[in-house]
Amino acid sequence: MNKGKAVVLVVEDSTIIRMGAVDLVLAAGYEALQARDADEAIAILESRGDVDLVFTDVQMPGTMDGIKLAHYIRDRWPPVRLIVASGAAIIEESSLPGGSSFFSKPYDDHAITDAMARLLAGDASAGSRV
Amino acid sequence: MPKPPTVHSEAPSTLAVVVSSNEPLLFLTEDLRVIAASASFCRAFEIDPAAVLDRHLGQLGAGEWAMPKLVSLLKATASGSARIEAYEIDLVRPDHKARQLVVNARTLDDGDADNIRLLVAITDVTDMRAEARLKDNLVRDKAMLLQEVQHRVANSLQIIASVLMQSARRVQSEEARGHLQNAHNRVMSIAALQRQLSTSSDGNVEVRSYFNQLCLSLGASMIADPERLSIEVTVDDSAVEADISVSLGLIVTELVINALKHAFPDERDGKILVDYRSSGDDWTLSVTDNGIGMPSGEDAPKAGLGSGIVEALAKNLLGEIAVSDAGPGTAVTISHKEDAAVQADLPSAA
Repeated sequence: MNKGKAVVLVVEDSTIIRMGAVDLVLAAGYEALQARDADEAIAILESRGDVDLVFTDVQMPGTMDGIKLAHYIRDRWPPVRLIVASGAAIIEESSLPGGSSFFSKPYDDHAITDAMARLLAGDASAGSRV
Repeated sequence: MPKPPTVHSEAPSTLAVVVSSNEPLLFLTEDLRVIAASASFCRAFEIDPAAVLDRHLGQLGAGEWAMPKLVSLLKATASGSARIEAYEIDLVRPDHKARQLVVNARTLDDGDADNIRLLVAITDVTDMRAEARLKDNLVRDKAMLLQEVQHRVANSLQIIASVLMQSARRVQSEEARGHLQNAHNRVMSIAALQRQLSTSSDGNVEVRSYFNQLCLSLGASMIADPERLSIEVTVDDSAVEADISVSLGLIVTELVINALKHAFPDERDGKILVDYRSSGDDWTLSVTDNGIGMPSGEDAPKAGLGSGIVEALAKNLLGEIAVSDAGPGTAVTISHKEDAAVQADLPSAA
């Protein structure tokens, strides 16, 4: 949390999609940070301790995909909320850390901001919807 | 047929049967000497048919059949202590790639208990196995490729949706924003279909789950207050081809957008019902709202892109459009009757 605004980190390798995701985060009134892959995301999480939520893609180049990243974050920064989006229509729910939300692409911006609002309000029931 | 130089003589018919066997076959004595070898055996394993009689199994060809495991199994079979069923063994010959063989052996049961002979059938499964492996690989490659394509399609649709939503958030004009949001909804309608198709095994789309997902997505993007407005979907167990479903989905998208935009002014409560049912080749799709009803005469809105899309798609599906007063509200029904379509002598929509 930064100056009362929740901080959301967008992790996405496609530039246009990342721009769109940052735009929707800003439009929802949060502060937005961005990373192109898991390594960049981890560097950001390490350098600042105020990230409240990570919104990540699944298929990304680099050492970790979004699913591995989600588990890594849940392990190392347990309070950080997670939203995962993928081009795959269905992902085994068990492959994601508990309490994270899954959306298939293309996602609806409103559905994402709704999930962000619920997760940031601490409502665990926001997890695991398609 | 030369007389076998064994103490026991075999009936010429027995030898002829062995020699003419389609499946590579060896007829052996108890101590593994060849009484007869089928022509197919000699051909398959490049053995001179003139140089087989009375030879020990291990002397055939360049000695490649002297496999200790095979010899011991055949001896055990001859003594009655084992039986070889589909025993797999590799045949290794100089200047040849190893061949995978399946060997079946049994003693000949002709009532002559003192004269033990073995019938050994040898099938070369190398090509068959390679083919099966190739087929498995192709199937796996195809599934992976398909998944990759689906990911790409989903990502491309996401790029389009992201650009449209960014534009919608930036434009100043309410009207332009509305158009951009509609364009976004049309993209999401096709995305919902893509999602259904990616989980379909036969290329057909279940209308109910497709419309449910579609209306969920339309509602999420267009309904600010779900307490006030809702969309209900009632669909039978119909499944339709992808081409038809994309048209049906776009029609539903346009009609639902239209109802949400015009039927419930001034914070009016309401409900939109999307219904689809089919019987044989006939089907009916209807979108009904309980809003203010269609204005007529001077107040009637000009037909926009939405109604143009609905008309064109309905025509393409050989459907009749009917707009009626739902008292309160409006019902738009598109019905397709196969008989009427045939009478009109038009090409089938399928």
